[in-house]
Amino acid sequence: MDFYLGLAQIVGVHTLLGLSAYCVLLTGQVSLAQAGFFAIGAYVAAMLTVLAGWHILPAIVAASFVAGVVACAVGFPALRVKGLMLVVATLAFGEAVRLFFFNFDYQVARGEVKIGPAGGEGFRQIRFFPEHGWSTLDVLLFIWLFVALVMAALWWMDRSRAGAVLRAVGEDEVAAQSAGINVTAVKVAAMTVGGLIAGLGGGIFAHYTAHIEHAQFGVALATFAIAYPILGGLSSVFGTLIAVIFVQGFLIEGLRFLGDWRNLLFGGLILLAMNVRPRGLIDAATIAAIKRMRVRNREPGNARTEGAE
Amino acid sequence: MEGSLQAGILTAARRGKPAKPVCLACRIDALMMCYRDHQGPGFDAEFKNFTGPDPQGMSYFQFIDTLQSIADGVLFGATYSLLGIGFTLVFGVMHKINLSYAAASIGAAYASLIVLSVVKAPAIFIFLLAGLSGGIIGGVIYIVCFRFIPQANPLATLMSTVGALLLIDEIIVHATVGIPVPYPALFSDVIVNAGPFTLRGDLMFMFALGCLSMLLLLGLLYRTKLGIATRAVSQQPAAAQLCGISIPRVNGLTFVITGVVGGIAGAMIGAAIGVLSPLLSLPLTTKGLIVTVIGGLGSIPGAIIAGLLVGGFENLFQYFRGVTERDLYVMLLLFAFLVFRPGGIFSPAAGRD
Amino acid sequence: MLELKGLSKHFGGVRAVDSLDLNVPQGEVFGLIGPNGSGKSTVVNLVCGLFPATAGQVLLRNEDITGLASHVRVARGVTRTFQNIRLFGQLSVWQNLWVAQNAVEHRSENFLRRWLGGPGRAREEIDRILEFSDLSGKRDELAGNLAFGEQRRLELARAIVAKPALLLLDEPAAGMNAEEIDQLDARIRKLKQDGLTVLLIEHHMELVMAVTDRIAVLNFGQKIAEGTPDEVQTNRLVQEAYLGVAEAA
Repeated sequence: MDFYLGLAQIVGVHTLLGLSAYCVLLTGQVSLAQAGFFAIGAYVAAMLTVLAGWHILPAIVAASFVAGVVACAVGFPALRVKGLMLVVATLAFGEAVRLFFFNFDYQVARGEVKIGPAGGEGFRQIRFFPEHGWSTLDVLLFIWLFVALVMAALWWMDRSRAGAVLRAVGEDEVAAQSAGINVTAVKVAAMTVGGLIAGLGGGIFAHYTAHIEHAQFGVALATFAIAYPILGGLSSVFGTLIAVIFVQGFLIEGLRFLGDWRNLLFGGLILLAMNVRPRGLIDAATIAAIKRMRVRNREPGNARTEGAE
Repeated sequence: MEGSLQAGILTAARRGKPAKPVCLACRIDALMMCYRDHQGPGFDAEFKNFTGPDPQGMSYFQFIDTLQSIADGVLFGATYSLLGIGFTLVFGVMHKINLSYAAASIGAAYASLIVLSVVKAPAIFIFLLAGLSGGIIGGVIYIVCFRFIPQANPLATLMSTVGALLLIDEIIVHATVGIPVPYPALFSDVIVNAGPFTLRGDLMFMFALGCLSMLLLLGLLYRTKLGIATRAVSQQPAAAQLCGISIPRVNGLTFVITGVVGGIAGAMIGAAIGVLSPLLSLPLTTKGLIVTVIGGLGSIPGAIIAGLLVGGFENLFQYFRGVTERDLYVMLLLFAFLVFRPGGIFSPAAGRD
Repeated sequence: MLELKGLSKHFGGVRAVDSLDLNVPQGEVFGLIGPNGSGKSTVVNLVCGLFPATAGQVLLRNEDITGLASHVRVARGVTRTFQNIRLFGQLSVWQNLWVAQNAVEHRSENFLRRWLGGPGRAREEIDRILEFSDLSGKRDELAGNLAFGEQRRLELARAIVAKPALLLLDEPAAGMNAEEIDQLDARIRKLKQDGLTVLLIEHHMELVMAVTDRIAVLNFGQKIAEGTPDEVQTNRLVQEAYLGVAEAA
């Protein structure tokens, strides 16, 4: 049972990571920097609870804020870098963040023990949850509370004008600009929101794994971050959630049936998925079909159709 | 292998701290094997007690060492140039990034090892074998990642190359059970002394091989029909099609050619370090992409120069700040270019809309 | 309404637009014609701010907008359509119009309601425009799935959502059949009735002659003639520009 709780925790945190990338991808910016914001959130939150004694709630909010500020700062130069060059630039940024923490040493003595981030060895003993008596289930609910909040917020955004504007910018910047949309503001805002969400996820991640180190936040995590929304489809936040469940479930649970071969099949599965369904699991056509089904299922007396989306 | 390491120890003299030897494996990624206490396969225990240059003669030696580092770095940078060329060529022709390229290059190097052990040929043929394997792998990647995915969907092709990267890495891990594999290091015991400088034979051979490959590639692109077709497709695909050029064929052949180049690069890296490890692929991907961007996406001369530049700077950073901070400065170098020269060293002529 | 003073745009050695002076009075439908490559589309791009001018000024209601970004000009009242249709294909017809609500009146609305509010508030206004463009039945259809004629109508609709004072139409009739052109003619007249000023770039001479009040003719980036449709038709310079000079027998 604990095993499945652990799996659900990972799914929750990775969903936050995926959603942070979802936000940015909508505007057409392919960002491999989300893992970097995630890392910043992790280290900041951990330092706040371990070194400054904060409660976890303000710690992760502060961590989210810091990551958001950094993301905003990244968002502006990102505007100057077009298309695929942005992929490389954000990759380099993510790596720079990882390398920064690789060299980051800030230890404080508590009694005879030194605590705090220790460069290459990472940050150990992030023990907020055990020290305050949180059970695995408590942590799980905590994680999923935030996942639900973020998903609800993004789902609402998708239905509103903001969502349509983000997607318009992602489709055709020139047309969007000519239609009166401030493309700069939209892209930087999307990057900032992505940073906020990633920072939140990172802060939570640091506490449930209890030990973070730079190697966890490398290129692999960065590619996973964009893999979730791409595999799940950019048309709906649920696509990202499903993709996370599938990927993490496959990678972790798949151990039972596939043993060592699961990693091998994972790469192959991505290849298959992209060839067969390039727009992801839930694409615009799927959403349109779902809507048509819902309209058809409405009672005949209800004349007005669904709100336009 | 021992010779390669002996000849290849680069000293990193941290200001005020005793010199710490860094084995060449750390050349690619500080994580590779020995950043912690210089332990691990491929590192001779004898160097643990290395003390560094004489404090009195430090300034002169430091200067010589700096130049030496840069020189070594530039020679090694030939591999980065080849990787950069591969990335930039695919980008120039298809406007896509093939993220699996570095992994495929390492994979080709592994494949060449297997073939070499079966076919008892002299070690020098390994580069040829690596090139051939690279070409085959390149073709396969084209079919699996690009051929059937609509070109208008860049995210899908990007993701598929990520899938290919993971797949190749896992195949390597499976085949070698995760243990680094020794690679023949040619001319590793050849050392040419030019005054206070040491020129390593294997690095020079690598550099020469790299130059030869680049020349052959440029000859292919500018003197053959295939090359002209490739350049036509990169500039105006629609018009190229109307002239009877088959785009899938040109794209596929581009992948095969870059695969050959990548295979040679992979073999060069293996030869320079003396070992191959699946851990190489991600750092090489990052460095290769950085070289591509600094050189200008789509520009081959840019990739060549940028590769040598990054190689030299890398060693320079490592010499002054140590191996753990080295890559951080390489990133900063990239950012500096993005700020001051976003088009890269040679931004290719502005294309269409 | 619109005044261009000495407007120039050089691309390297090519003078796409060369010292152009133009005055478009309010409420007129003003035509801009000329052979291919004469710089018409460049003029539109300069007026709506897609790229900066090399020299000269663009004045809207006597206000200099030369240095302003595109989206700011939309708020000032200038919108455009594109020659090659640039709709947001993955968005629905409704959403294409919704995102274009960027007039000053829209911007001054409550921030949260404007961005995070549901589709309800904007329904009436957009429905009216959908009706005007004969697209009421296609409201939830993805823009990319529309027929060509419908896409053209959506392109026009998107340009008027932002309540412009000046509307730039870049070859709106390209690819249309006769019936669609008639409908376009009717729509332009209706817009003029509602007080819009229209700058029309077109190749379809019949449409231009029928619907415009005045025409300017460009060749090689320079204005070679200006006047009413009749005047322009009989102008020899214009004829030469389009048809070439007759060889001496």
